[in-house]
Amino acid sequence: MKKPSLIRNLLLSLLIPCTVFLVLEMIAFAKGVRLFANADSWKLFFRAVANVTLTTFALSINLDSGRFDFSLGAVSMLSATVAGTLAQQWSIGPWLTLIVAIAVAALLGLVHGGVYVLTRIPPIIVSLGMALFFEGCAFAYTGGKGVSLVTRTDIIGFSRIGNYILVTVIAVSLIVLLFDYTRFGADYRALLSGQKIAVETGIREVGNALGCYAVSGALMGVVGFISLANTGSQQMSLNFGSIGIMFTAFLPMFIGGWIGRYINKRVGIMLGAVSMALISLAYARFDTASSVQSIISALLLVLFLIYLNNEYAILSRFRKKQEIKE
Amino acid sequence: MKNLKRTLSMALCLILMLTLTCVPAMAAGSVKIGVLVSDATSSEALAFRAYYTEYIAKAYDVEFIYSDELTDAAGEKSSIENFIVNNCKAVISFSSFDRPAQIEQCDAAGIYYAVATGTLTDEQYEEYKDYEYYVGAIGPSMDIEFQTGYDMAAYYIDQGVTRFGMFGGGVPYYVDMHIYRAAGMLTAMVEKGGEGANYKGADNAGAIIGQIYADGGIDTGKIGNLELVAYVGGYDFNDAWFGKLAQMVGTEGIEAIITVGSGVDVLGGFVAGSGVKLATVDSFTPAMGEAMDSGILDYMAGKFAASIGPIFAATYDAIQGSPIRDSEGCALALGQGFWVATDSEQFQQYSAVDSSNTDPAYTREILDQYAAPGVSFEDFAAFVSQYSFDEIVTLKK
Amino acid sequence: MGKQTWKERIPTFASTLGLLVLIAAYYIIGAIRDANVAYGLKAVVNQSVVVALVATGAVFIYTLGSFDISLGAATGVSALLGAMAYNATGSLIVMFLVCIGVAVVIGFINSSLASVFNLPIFVTTVAMMSVLSAFMLILIGWNGAGDTIKVKARDVRPLDNIPFKVSMLVAYIALCWFIFTLLPTGREAKFIGGNPICAKLSGIDEKKLAIIASLISAVGIGLGAFLTIVYAPTLNKDTASSIGMDVIIAIVFGGMPVSGGPRSRILSAVVGAFSMGFLSQIMSMLNLGSGFGQMIKAAIFLLVVFIALGSQRSKLLTR
Repeated sequence: MKKPSLIRNLLLSLLIPCTVFLVLEMIAFAKGVRLFANADSWKLFFRAVANVTLTTFALSINLDSGRFDFSLGAVSMLSATVAGTLAQQWSIGPWLTLIVAIAVAALLGLVHGGVYVLTRIPPIIVSLGMALFFEGCAFAYTGGKGVSLVTRTDIIGFSRIGNYILVTVIAVSLIVLLFDYTRFGADYRALLSGQKIAVETGIREVGNALGCYAVSGALMGVVGFISLANTGSQQMSLNFGSIGIMFTAFLPMFIGGWIGRYINKRVGIMLGAVSMALISLAYARFDTASSVQSIISALLLVLFLIYLNNEYAILSRFRKKQEIKE
Repeated sequence: MKNLKRTLSMALCLILMLTLTCVPAMAAGSVKIGVLVSDATSSEALAFRAYYTEYIAKAYDVEFIYSDELTDAAGEKSSIENFIVNNCKAVISFSSFDRPAQIEQCDAAGIYYAVATGTLTDEQYEEYKDYEYYVGAIGPSMDIEFQTGYDMAAYYIDQGVTRFGMFGGGVPYYVDMHIYRAAGMLTAMVEKGGEGANYKGADNAGAIIGQIYADGGIDTGKIGNLELVAYVGGYDFNDAWFGKLAQMVGTEGIEAIITVGSGVDVLGGFVAGSGVKLATVDSFTPAMGEAMDSGILDYMAGKFAASIGPIFAATYDAIQGSPIRDSEGCALALGQGFWVATDSEQFQQYSAVDSSNTDPAYTREILDQYAAPGVSFEDFAAFVSQYSFDEIVTLKK
Repeated sequence: MGKQTWKERIPTFASTLGLLVLIAAYYIIGAIRDANVAYGLKAVVNQSVVVALVATGAVFIYTLGSFDISLGAATGVSALLGAMAYNATGSLIVMFLVCIGVAVVIGFINSSLASVFNLPIFVTTVAMMSVLSAFMLILIGWNGAGDTIKVKARDVRPLDNIPFKVSMLVAYIALCWFIFTLLPTGREAKFIGGNPICAKLSGIDEKKLAIIASLISAVGIGLGAFLTIVYAPTLNKDTASSIGMDVIIAIVFGGMPVSGGPRSRILSAVVGAFSMGFLSQIMSMLNLGSGFGQMIKAAIFLLVVFIALGSQRSKLLTR
C-alpha cells in the first residue's frame, strides 16, 4: 500500500483553517473591514484559540469514552472563583493564581470522577448533578458576589498574546504526551476501543477514568483563569447557567476528528479551534448580532456533520461524475 | 437489598438533617415575606439582599424567602405560589416580567404586594391602584432611568468629550430600563450636539426611544458635533462578545464609555490602563470603590442598598393593618433616584453609609419615625423624596 | 424470558419510593414550617404539568437511546408562535393548533436531519437549540411590543385550572402508554434502544421509528407550550428555557435509564416530574439561600438517582 505523503497530510490538515480564513478574508474585503485590524484582533484570536482548544480537549477526553460532561463550565467558574479569591486575599501573582486554578479544577474533576466511579450513575447524569453542585459551591463561597480583580493589573496583564500561545502550546504538548506516549494514554485508548476486553486484560478503568476527569478539570481551570484575567471579574451562574461553554466545543471537536485522519488528533483539535477562533474574530469584526451568530454557528455545525456522516456517499457520487466526464 | 436499605436510610437521615436545619430558621422570623428576584448575582442585587437579610430581618423579626433567579413570567407565578405555600404575608418584587399578573395573583391570595426599585406604567397604575392588597411601588420610574442616562452623557459632554462608546446591556433583549437609560444618553448627545444634531433622524426623547425599540439596538455614527464611535450590547459572554468589548475600548480616539449597567464587570479589565473614562450604573460596593480609586471607574450612578427600606416599611405597615394610602385611598407610586459619585472621596463617603449592616442609610429608627403604622401619606412621600445622600445624612442626624 | 426478579424490579420501585419519600418529607417539613401544604399540592401540579407532558413524549426519544436537548427551546418557540397566532385570530383553538403544529414541524426537522443525513441526534439538537433560541429573540423583535409577547390573561384564565391541566396530562399519558405498550412502535423502540444492531437485523426501520418518536414527542411539546401560555401568558426570550434540562432530570428521577432500551417506562417521566415538583417545594420551605440550596438540591438529585439505579451497577463503568 502506498504511504500517504507528509506534505499531502499537512496540506489536508490545514485545508479547513485555511479555507475558513480565505472565506472570511473575502467577506471582510467585501465589507471593507480588515480581519486582523490591530493588536486587539490578534489578542482576541489567540485567546479564542486557547479557550476553544482547552475546552475541546476537556470535553473530548471524556466524551470519546462515552462520558458526557455538562459540568465543564461550572468547574471553570468555581476554580476561577477560588483562585481569584485567594489571589485577592494573599496577593499572589498571575502564574501562581493560574497554578492554584489548575490545582483546584483538577481536584474538582477528581471529585466529579470519584462520585461517578463510586455511584456508577451514568456519567451524563452525574455531570448534571455536579454542575448544579459546583455552581452552588461557587455562589455560596463568595456569597454570590463572585470575584472582582479589575484593579489587579498584574493578573489582568496576563492577557497577552505571548501567554495565550504559551498556554496553548504547553497544553497541546502535554495532552499529546499524556495520551499518545504514556501508559495512561495507551490504557485510555484501549478502554476507548474495547472497554470490556481492556478491563479483562487488567487495565484499571477506575484509575484511568479518575485521571481523565482530573485532566479535564485541570484544562478547565486554565480556561477559567484566562476568562478571569481577561475581564478581571468572575460572575456567578446558577441553575445550569454555566453549561453553555460546552456547546462551543462541538464543532472544533468534529473538525479535529476529521483533521485527525491526517495528523495527530490533538493537533487536529487545535486546528479546529483555530478555525473557530477565526469565526469568532469575524463575528466581532463584522459586529454580527448574537442571534445571527447562533444561527450561523449551528448551521456550520450541522453542515459539517452532514458532510462528515455522508462523506463516503458524497465523495463516491463526486468521483462517479468525474469518471463519466472522463 | 442491603445496599438499598443503606442508601434509603441515608436518604432519610439527610432529610431529617435538613428538617432539623430548618427548625431554627423558622424560629428566626414571625412574619414571612417573599421576595421575587430576576437577578441574584449582580452587586446591586446582592447589596439589596444583604440589607434585607442582614439588617431588616434582624431589626424587625421578619423572615425573607427569596425566589430563585427568575427568567420569565411563569417563574414569577410559580414563586408566588411557593410564597403562598410558605404562608408569606406579603411579596416584594424586584422582577418585572409580568407585574399585572403578580398583583392579581397576590390579590386573589389575599397577600400584600409591593414593587421595589421600579414603578408601574401609568396605565397599570390606573388599573391596580385601588386593589386592597397592592401596597404600591417605590423606585426609579422610566423617566428617572432616562434622566440617569441623560445626566451621565451630559456630564462628559460638558467636560468636552466628543467621542463616546456605549455598552447597551439588555437593549438587544428589549429591557425597558436599559433602553430608557440608553435613550437618555442619546438624547443628551442630540441636545448638546449642536444645531441639527439627531440620532438616525430622531431629535427628541420620544422618537429616540421609539427608534431603539424598533431596531433592538443602537447604531454608531455622528450626532451633530459629537460621535458615538462604538457600541456593544447584550450579555453573550463568548469570545466574539469579549472581542467586541476589547475593540470598543481600543477604538481610535474614544474618550469615554458610557454604560447602562455592569460597566466595571464587563469592561473593567479592558479599560484598566487604557486612559478611557468609564461610567456606569451599579451599586456602592467595595469592588466598585476599588475601581474608582484606581481610576478605572470615573462616574457611577447607583441605587443605594437601603433605598428599598421605605417599600419594606410600607409593606410591613400593611401587614400590621395600617397600609399607607393617598388621600383617595390609592396605592403608593413614588419615585426615587440614584446617588451619583464622580470621585473616589465621594464614593467612599456614600459607600461607608451604604454598606453598613449595623447602621445603614435607612435604619429601623428612621423607618419607625417616618414610615411607621399610622404615618400620613404626605409625610411618607416627603420622606421618600429625600433620597439624596445629604438629605439622608441630615435625617440620620 | 423469565419473570422479573425482586432485584430487577428495584429501580421501578425505588423511583416511586423516592417520590413517596419526597412527599413524606414535604408534609413533615410543611408541618414544622407551618406551611399551607394543601395549596402546595396545587402548586406542585401547576409547576410540574408542563415538564411532565414534555418528558412523557420525550420518553419515546430516550427509549431509542437518543437524547434531545432542544425540547425547552422547541416549547418556547411553539408557545411564542401560538401566542402570536392567538393575538392575530383571537381563537384559542388556533393557538392550540399552532402550538402543536409548530412543535411537530420542529420535531420533524430534527428527526429528518438526524435520520436522512445520519447525524448524531444529540449534536443535531444542540444546533437546533441554538437556532430556536435565536429565533425566539427574532420573533419578539418582529412582534414589536417590547421584550415580551402577551396574550390577555383573562382570555386564557378559564383554562388555568387543575382539572383541565390534569385531564390534558392524563389523556396524553394514556395515548403514549397505548402506543408504547400496546402497539409495535413501543416494543420496536425498546428493542432499538436495547440492542440497535439486532433490531436492525430483525428488519426494524430505525429511521422511521426516530421520526415517529419525534412526532409523538412533538405533541407533548405542543401541549406543554399551550399550557405554558395558559399558566403565564406573558412570554419572553427565556420562556420554557429550563425545560430541556428539567426533562432530562425528570426522566432520570423517574428511574428510566438514559440509555433507553427495554427498561424504559412512560410513567417514569410523570414520577420524575412530580418528584422534582415536591423537591422544589421542599427547597422553598427550607429557605436555604441560592448557593447552599442548590448544593443540597444537587446532592438529593444524585442520591435519588443512585437509589433508583440500585441494581444496574456492573463491573464496568457505566457509559
